[in-house]
Amino acid sequence: MSRTIFAMGGGGFTMEPSNPLLDDFVLGLAQAREPRILFLPTASGDANAQINAFQARFAGRACVPEHLSLFRLREAERTLQETVLGQDVIYVGGGSMRNLLALWRAHELDRLLIEAWRAGTVLAGLSAGAMCWFQGGVSCSSGPPEPMAGLGLLSGSLTVHADGDPERLPVWLAAVRSGALPGGWAVDDGVGLLFSGERLVRVVSSRPGAGAERVDAIAGELVRRRLVPELLGAGEQAATPDGDVEELRQVQRLRRGTGAGGALRDL
Amino acid sequence: MRPPSRQILALGGGGFSMEKDGSLLDDYVLSLAPASRPRVCFIPTASGDADHYVVRFYRRFSSECEASHVSLFRRDQGTGGVEEDIAAHLLAQDVIYVGGGNVVSMLGVWRAHGLDDVLARAWREGVILCGPSAGSLCWFSEALSAFHGAPRRVRGLGLLPYSNCVHYDAEPERRAEYHRFVGDGMRAGFAADDGAALHFRGRQLERVVSSRPHARAYRVEPLREGVLEAPLETVYLGAGATVPESLLLASPSASSAPAAA
Repeated sequence: MSRTIFAMGGGGFTMEPSNPLLDDFVLGLAQAREPRILFLPTASGDANAQINAFQARFAGRACVPEHLSLFRLREAERTLQETVLGQDVIYVGGGSMRNLLALWRAHELDRLLIEAWRAGTVLAGLSAGAMCWFQGGVSCSSGPPEPMAGLGLLSGSLTVHADGDPERLPVWLAAVRSGALPGGWAVDDGVGLLFSGERLVRVVSSRPGAGAERVDAIAGELVRRRLVPELLGAGEQAATPDGDVEELRQVQRLRRGTGAGGALRDL
Repeated sequence: MRPPSRQILALGGGGFSMEKDGSLLDDYVLSLAPASRPRVCFIPTASGDADHYVVRFYRRFSSECEASHVSLFRRDQGTGGVEEDIAAHLLAQDVIYVGGGNVVSMLGVWRAHGLDDVLARAWREGVILCGPSAGSLCWFSEALSAFHGAPRRVRGLGLLPYSNCVHYDAEPERRAEYHRFVGDGMRAGFAADDGAALHFRGRQLERVVSSRPHARAYRVEPLREGVLEAPLETVYLGAGATVPESLLLASPSASSAPAAA
């Protein structure tokens, strides 16, 4: 069974209400024609605004959307296990990474999510809901940004909002340089990393100009490599410009050359 | 300096979040604070820091108190909650008011932020702790929580070495479940109806007060066979039935509190 994680630096229905490209991409990752998609607004404290935005985005699409609130469990009719293991896609919203992980552990949801991932459910998320799948990330859960351990389904660390949040990136870079966090990816708003198993297979974007980078500490020095994403939605109207394809292939060769965690899929 | 009086008011349900008119139980908790304008901090974690809950707290308390709240979900977003040194802020309060919601979620988040230790310290230093529902269950060693319809035994902060069950009259299955858990090895404890509050001084139950004439609280203990449920004498706070002055004066903190200027 393929194990799929789609980690967004930002974007999707909570951040791009008028741009459905990343959310449609998420739905497309499921095998089912009408995927069952479960939204976990845990990191926001189950904020109504997030839940409403989720419904607004997915209610009219070919899918079966529902959300799970860990603060209003008494409204639920099924057990957590039934709810989580019966999905094609589980989409995790942003907010407090510290609270997200604490809540999942308190309700033993972390175990269920790992089980779902192993069984082939697509795990997707943005911000805290993206960093949680990695060995670590940089969270602002207590105010100033600080390194924080994640669930570790994916090797390496992730930092999000690389272009939209000026304070977070330097903290992450310092943590990678010092070894407090393993090397990993810095991802802009609007960009998502698609992993098959532990391998990064695609980098996609909902906005022109947004990007990502792979950063590793080698002998105490940071080695930074820019990843140029595929712009979603452009393919149907116009073929991807050759230059971009060439650039991606270059990145791919670079990444193969250093062996740092998998290659990009050919376009 | 007098030794701090450790007080907890554990509401089975009620207070500003549940009772439209009279928040007699809220008045009661304020009456326990010696300050003329008490510092009261709200912790809405169990609701996921629901905005409407925070608003209702300020509506109820900001005219007579120095009201504040702590949000553990939006610490980076400047929503008006306390953001700097949460521990120092909590330790400087007269009353810490914990809102209702999901107790398992609340305790998980508290532990992740170290708030469990801060609250225990606040209690030892004399800050009055109170709250309904999850805001009651959390102070006890064990609590019965409804979880996906199925009852669940939850480990609380353990300031009060008993078990606790809330909404005892509002949800009929609660009573049977609590009896079953206590019969099966959950420690002896206290159950409270909506509108009833258990007032502890130190680890001793000092009295039971209520905002509804028929609200009650009970001591529930395991017997060799079955469970004993003993109703507790309850002081109704409403409709002219003021707390007898003798009761208030009987409390060590009230008698030794500095006289109002």
